[in-house]
Amino acid sequence: MSLKLFRRSLWVYHLNSGGCNGCDIEVLNIFTPYHDVERLGIKLVASPRHADVIVFTGPITRETLPKAIRAFFAVPEPKAVVAVGSCACGGGIWYDSYAVIGGIEAFYRILEKYYKVRLPPTVYVPGCPPKPEAIIYGVAVLRGVLKQKQRKTYFLEKEVPTLTRDFIVNLEKYMKQGGEISIGKR
Amino acid sequence: MKASRIEIFKEALKTGVVTKKYPFEPIEVPEGFRGKPSIDTEKCIGCGACVSVCPPNALSIEVDAKRGVKRIMLFLGRCIFCGRCQEVCPTEAIKLSREFELSSLNSKDLYQVVELKMAKCKICGRYYATVRQILFTARNVPKDQRPLLLLCDECRSKVSAKYISYARW
Repeated sequence: MSLKLFRRSLWVYHLNSGGCNGCDIEVLNIFTPYHDVERLGIKLVASPRHADVIVFTGPITRETLPKAIRAFFAVPEPKAVVAVGSCACGGGIWYDSYAVIGGIEAFYRILEKYYKVRLPPTVYVPGCPPKPEAIIYGVAVLRGVLKQKQRKTYFLEKEVPTLTRDFIVNLEKYMKQGGEISIGKR
Repeated sequence: MKASRIEIFKEALKTGVVTKKYPFEPIEVPEGFRGKPSIDTEKCIGCGACVSVCPPNALSIEVDAKRGVKRIMLFLGRCIFCGRCQEVCPTEAIKLSREFELSSLNSKDLYQVVELKMAKCKICGRYYATVRQILFTARNVPKDQRPLLLLCDECRSKVSAKYISYARW
């Protein structure tokens, strides 16, 4: 899913959707001279109507949900979403709280159910808070400049020794003979 | 004191460029940085210590009774990189690396799934623990009591109660 939606500079609208302010500071950090993303054309704008990208930082609390929906619809198409921080990605430590919607995915479920909208491309930036470089990397992945490194990994244990009375009593002897029995090597 | 513009310009020239060229050049992460946690599939015994200690429940564990498999799932999207799983792991299987470039366009890419095979109880035939966990505990148990590890919790308590009553009478 490479993004060729945006040919020119990305204008970013930053929305704190109930976060603790940690991610907000990191988002503002990438506009300082040290990381200076304005050299890449990324600019922070004050109104969602000017923006291409909307940045969510926070687990979308019940109080911010209507505001988040209004801001989301105010961004003109084509748009993209950056979910910064663990809270926005999956709810963080408040994922099952009564006062919290639970991350951008739960937010999308609400949008799909009640508004029936086409969901924009989204980049998830985990971290609590993520490094400023991690946010820059996320935007680079969104633009298709850099490749995504993170992949789902799946492991299934293939062979296990059959547990018999003799085997478990003389475990040390068998381990010397067989050698490779993986039981949590220290 | 008010600095003139020329003085400011001189100062700026002295300082030079501080901006990092990050997305085009790699950066160095400080030592002790807590980055992406990952489970070493060779060492993990599926005891679930990390699951019970994880504050945001980014780690979860479930038993698939049909396939006889214990599934440990790590969801990076909820992880807060506190490192408590690393502290508590008895085999040092889960460790935090210094990797921080975890962004993904699909939240399913943020999962790590480890499935470990389980052993059946010799009496009731129920799946009760992973084979690796039994072998790991067997090394700390005296030889005459090891066969009890082949039984599930309930059967083990029944059998050991029987032994105790024999010893009394």
